[in-house]
Amino acid sequence: MRLNMNRMTVPSMVAAVMLYLPATGLAQQPTSDSAMRESVVLRFVQSDAAGEVPDFQQHVVPLLGKLGCNGRACHGSFQGRGGFRLSLFGYDFESDHDEIYGRIDPEVPSDSGILQKPLMQVQHEGGQRLKEGSWEHHLLMRWIEGGANGRIEEPPALVSLEVKPNEILFAADGQQQQLQAVAVWSNGMKEDVTALCRFQTNDDQIAEISQDGLVRAGTSGDTHIVAFYDSAVVPVPVIRPVSDQFGDRYPAIPTPTKVDELVVQKLRKVGIVASDLCTDAEFLRRVSLDVTGTLPTAKEVREFLAETNADKRRRKIDELLERPGYVAWWTTRLCDFTGNSDDKLNNVTPVQQEASKQWYAWIKKRVRENMPYDRIVEGIVMAVSRDPGESYQQYCENVSKLYTKDGPGAAAYADRDSLPHYWARQNFQTSEDRVIGFAYTFLGTRIQCAQCHKHPFDQWTQNDFKQFEGFFKGTTARQNARPDAKSEYDAMVAGFEGTEGLKGNDLRKLLATKVTAGATIPLAEVFSVKAKSSPAKRDNKKQKNGKPDRGGVVPATAKILAGPVVDLTSHDDVRQPLMDWLRSPDNPLFAKAFVNRVWANYFNVGIVQPADDMNLANPPVNAPLLDYLGKGFIEHNFDMKWLHREILNSRTYQLSWIPNSTNRLDERNFSRAVPRRLPAEIAYDLMTQVTRNDVKNTEFVTDLGKRAVAIPGAALKQRNRNPADYALTVFGRSIRESNCDCDRTEEPSLLQTIFVRNDGQVLSMIDDADGWLAQVAADNNLPFSRKSQPDNNAGRNTQAGVARQFKARIQRLRQQIAEAEKASKTKQVATLRDQLKKTRKDAKNQGALAPEDDEEKPVADVESDATTISAPPVPTWNVTEVINDAYLRTVSRFPTADELQTARTFISESTNPIDGVRDVLWALMNTHEFIVNH
Amino acid sequence: MSFYRTSDGDGRRDFLKAGVVGGTGLSLASYAQLVATGNLDPGARAKSAIFVNLNGGPSHMDTFDPKPDAPSEYRGEFNTIQTCLPGIAISEHLPRIATCMDKFTLLRGVSHSVAAHELGTKYVNTGNRPLPSLEFPGYGAVITKERPGIPELPPFVAVPNSAQRAGYLGVRYAPMNTTATPVIGTPFRVRGISMSGGLTVTDVERRRNLLTQLDRTFSDVEQNSQLLEGMDEFGKQAHTVITSEKARDAFDIGKESPDFSKPFGSSSLGASCLLALRLVESGVRFVTVSNGGWDTHRDNWNVLKTRQLPALDDALFGLFTGLAARGLLDSTVVYVTGEFGRTPKINTERVGRDHYPRNMFMLLGGGGVKGGQVLGESDETASMPKGDGFSPDDVAASFYHALGIDHKQEYYTTTGRPVMIVRDGHVITELFT
Repeated sequence: MRLNMNRMTVPSMVAAVMLYLPATGLAQQPTSDSAMRESVVLRFVQSDAAGEVPDFQQHVVPLLGKLGCNGRACHGSFQGRGGFRLSLFGYDFESDHDEIYGRIDPEVPSDSGILQKPLMQVQHEGGQRLKEGSWEHHLLMRWIEGGANGRIEEPPALVSLEVKPNEILFAADGQQQQLQAVAVWSNGMKEDVTALCRFQTNDDQIAEISQDGLVRAGTSGDTHIVAFYDSAVVPVPVIRPVSDQFGDRYPAIPTPTKVDELVVQKLRKVGIVASDLCTDAEFLRRVSLDVTGTLPTAKEVREFLAETNADKRRRKIDELLERPGYVAWWTTRLCDFTGNSDDKLNNVTPVQQEASKQWYAWIKKRVRENMPYDRIVEGIVMAVSRDPGESYQQYCENVSKLYTKDGPGAAAYADRDSLPHYWARQNFQTSEDRVIGFAYTFLGTRIQCAQCHKHPFDQWTQNDFKQFEGFFKGTTARQNARPDAKSEYDAMVAGFEGTEGLKGNDLRKLLATKVTAGATIPLAEVFSVKAKSSPAKRDNKKQKNGKPDRGGVVPATAKILAGPVVDLTSHDDVRQPLMDWLRSPDNPLFAKAFVNRVWANYFNVGIVQPADDMNLANPPVNAPLLDYLGKGFIEHNFDMKWLHREILNSRTYQLSWIPNSTNRLDERNFSRAVPRRLPAEIAYDLMTQVTRNDVKNTEFVTDLGKRAVAIPGAALKQRNRNPADYALTVFGRSIRESNCDCDRTEEPSLLQTIFVRNDGQVLSMIDDADGWLAQVAADNNLPFSRKSQPDNNAGRNTQAGVARQFKARIQRLRQQIAEAEKASKTKQVATLRDQLKKTRKDAKNQGALAPEDDEEKPVADVESDATTISAPPVPTWNVTEVINDAYLRTVSRFPTADELQTARTFISESTNPIDGVRDVLWALMNTHEFIVNH
Repeated sequence: MSFYRTSDGDGRRDFLKAGVVGGTGLSLASYAQLVATGNLDPGARAKSAIFVNLNGGPSHMDTFDPKPDAPSEYRGEFNTIQTCLPGIAISEHLPRIATCMDKFTLLRGVSHSVAAHELGTKYVNTGNRPLPSLEFPGYGAVITKERPGIPELPPFVAVPNSAQRAGYLGVRYAPMNTTATPVIGTPFRVRGISMSGGLTVTDVERRRNLLTQLDRTFSDVEQNSQLLEGMDEFGKQAHTVITSEKARDAFDIGKESPDFSKPFGSSSLGASCLLALRLVESGVRFVTVSNGGWDTHRDNWNVLKTRQLPALDDALFGLFTGLAARGLLDSTVVYVTGEFGRTPKINTERVGRDHYPRNMFMLLGGGGVKGGQVLGESDETASMPKGDGFSPDDVAASFYHALGIDHKQEYYTTTGRPVMIVRDGHVITELFT
């Protein structure tokens, strides 16, 4: 039973055909075809259907599916019902036949339980499912009379399920359209199986479907009807235009690029008119955030708006794609998809958290070089710990260096050939987990259903899943050496004093101290095991029994999804054919999975949505568009920047978010920009960026050191190593643990709003000594006092934070001394003075206090950022410029006249000007416009 | 395009992104209504719940299921004391709990087979044996979905954090973590929830008015975007929470009178229980309290008697009697459990007990649960339940039952898979009769 890959591209073929329906409301008659067997409805209308015996796979199992017998709530349940268990969604022909055969009476077929129960001739908990004398009844009866045989030996494969029409366009309420489904088998047989298909609608508001295949029009919009038969899943688009501007009546809309052409081609059918082009200011903010996760500086906004070159958007896109922010953001995204999680990398490296740093560095280097996507993936899919030609000893020497205190660090891991950590993750050890994780990462597909039963929304059967597992059994991730290096491993361990008898954690801890001190220690290894033909045969037998194989035996063969069986014994690394398949131009999912995720990054939703759930029953909203980009990506040798440019330079990407009457409710057809919340890292970085003074703000564009987007690992466990951790948790950074793009959340929450409005960390950023507010105060000679506590939380790891803590402690001690002196507690005064002396010494040692700083220096100087400087306000300060600046640095545009007036009035009514400016900045950071990309 | 149906009848992941071309989008308001009309049993007495998680797995034999007559390799060094329930004895180091056993049911002979901390914890926090392919929502996520709280307060609070995640229900049902543990007699606040740094309510009102005036860019399209509409709603809530004295006060256990706080003892567990009580009293729907230190592989008896048990004794005594004194016990169901029990046979090498899920204890009280009884029983060495015993699934089903939630109700996961709230449990009817 093999399916051909063409079926996966069925959606791409349908869009070319348009079918305008007569508004008669009459169902069309199925077309006749001489080579085709007519419907079972007609063939079994009589109880003796001319002696025809139905086939178990082609007729009986689909019929039981249609009657609901193998559903989850009935006999498809894993416990079965009434002692009778069928495979869920029916694709385990052997066991289904066994189960059914026990409920057959070959002598008196009509006494068979399989008939009596659904006919309700005897008590049936599931109620009546069959009507006496119906074609369904006759079909089952004839099958029993014909010997009740199971699936035939070497059965033909289902080549395709052709559903007509392949697109439905409704125009009015009450319109109907009958579908016809024809199964084409590999032995040349064609049969009308409409009556044996299960149907579902993806949106019953827009189209309803009866189980006979009759589609009824609902409200306007676009959706799909899906037909299921055997392992086939075929979606049929159903469109009812949302306005009268469709087809020939569609207005002329510019389509400067191929992407635009394909998007508008769909919009024309649905009657959605695209919005206008966005303004330059909107474009600059949107593209800067999307590509680099960084806001343009106020200066950059001014320059871009003043620029008159017609080509300026294209040039800006090219410029942004060269910035470090682009590299950091797409490294982060690739770390999301590949699952770079600290939680799952425990003990993968001798020093904790180094694995996630190495992972990030390895990907970052390749994104920076714009290495073709398939080559990056090859370094992950084919990964082994040793570089080519390295002995175990050399490998340990080369990598141990990276953990040395003053060594090159994790960044140097980027120079190694491959990324074995992907295979060493704790949630990537069994071959089942690997199939699921691999399908998620590289195919954008959720195959897990097929681990236990036929995938309900896709073509994958349990057999497909099991046969695919073979590619993943040849790779082993060991915490110690691989077998042929065991003696070297042991010798290295024995070379260290005190290792005798130590095991597990205790040994690891000891070795970690050695490696940071510069020693070469024995390291964990990911390596590949060859397939051997003899044990694999046993393995195949085991698989047939349906038992999961957790052993490390590599089978002799494995089968590509919807592809050929591969002889694994002829490969040194059994993952080679898997990698070859991935990058092959025929691969139906690999290129599209990445294209779709990149698209989703720019448009809020993917062309397939959810972006990591490509399955046949969840077709692309615009199949030609996905095909075009997928094909182009392959033709341009998986050049990621080609893909980014192709999308960013389209008019579609540059549309305004302002809707018109036709696209007000459209968030799926790319007819306008959809406002979306910024990703967690970017949201946090932005809050930092906009509160910094001009110098620091500009540095932000190029210096990624302190930024959230440069944090390598993610995890569920909040480790509070980084001041951004709390905010990242609240804003939903990806936890990278469950093979789902939804590990990252872009939903809003109450805590997020509370954080931006009122968290000490944010309020403290605004008041920071290096902040914009302090700069405005200094530039304009305005009095400035904090309205927030210095943020210990944010500053814990920074030099400024340490300094602030010391200052606070010193001030506290001084107060206590003053109080003690007042109360004449001489002994206490002495003790406190000693403490003060010691604290000052510590502060100097840690660089928090200048070495020349001595006791006599006035307190106010040391505390300059925490106390009020009482200089008289200068009445001539340029409040308009300050407000303009606040707008440019937060929402990347000038204020409107109204906004300017509101802000001016507010500031003038404030107790002092800086308090007013602070509130303006605060308010801008809390607008939707700030936290939303639009 | 909302093919992925969830518990709410709409795409969970697509909730705020749903493209509704001409369709009828589910607005946040109508969604809230849907939730508000969940399948609740109006007869249920519990309106809120407190879940106390004793992380690490407390030794059942040295606490609530002692076997003084067991052979010495099992028994352990503690004596037992009689409780206020005739014939029922517990560890001598729980003297105050012994006096308030009338407030809850002690379940003995609860049994499962997951002996790892993380998985065991997931099990007892969801009522479902963990599956790799699916993350079950914790009790708090389910309960606050079925019974949203009051606007001024987050409905689900975790002190300081919780193993109860939103799972397949989606992040909006995740708990608000206090991230810190309170200390009795000391003011306590949660990040961002109260005003500081010299800001007054007037300041906050004033800048909020400015924000309202300036935040107009999207005002014409807000009703089209569930994201913007949601953010608007959260904006209103945030303002209420920040300026509401009720929210600030609810978290500040420093506001409790010393007389009322004293019985909770001086431990962080006691302070957390006091905070839980205060939150529930203010209208928070669900509070989890997490407390560690129970993984006593080594030095079991010494650790228990000097540190763990005195704290537990005070904390639970304070919680149960405090709830009763405030008239909250009838409307608040309390569930106390670890992830498993500990090996009845003593590990003599380390003077401790190891992980043991086959037999453990749990406490369930308040919210209509009958007090003053012991259900279930373990064998002579506390190694197995006598008879069938209870499963964590059964206790979960009962916990939901107390709150009027039918545990057999089905939700849909992100992949459209239907799942019962508790897949394999039965309500323990004796808890309620």
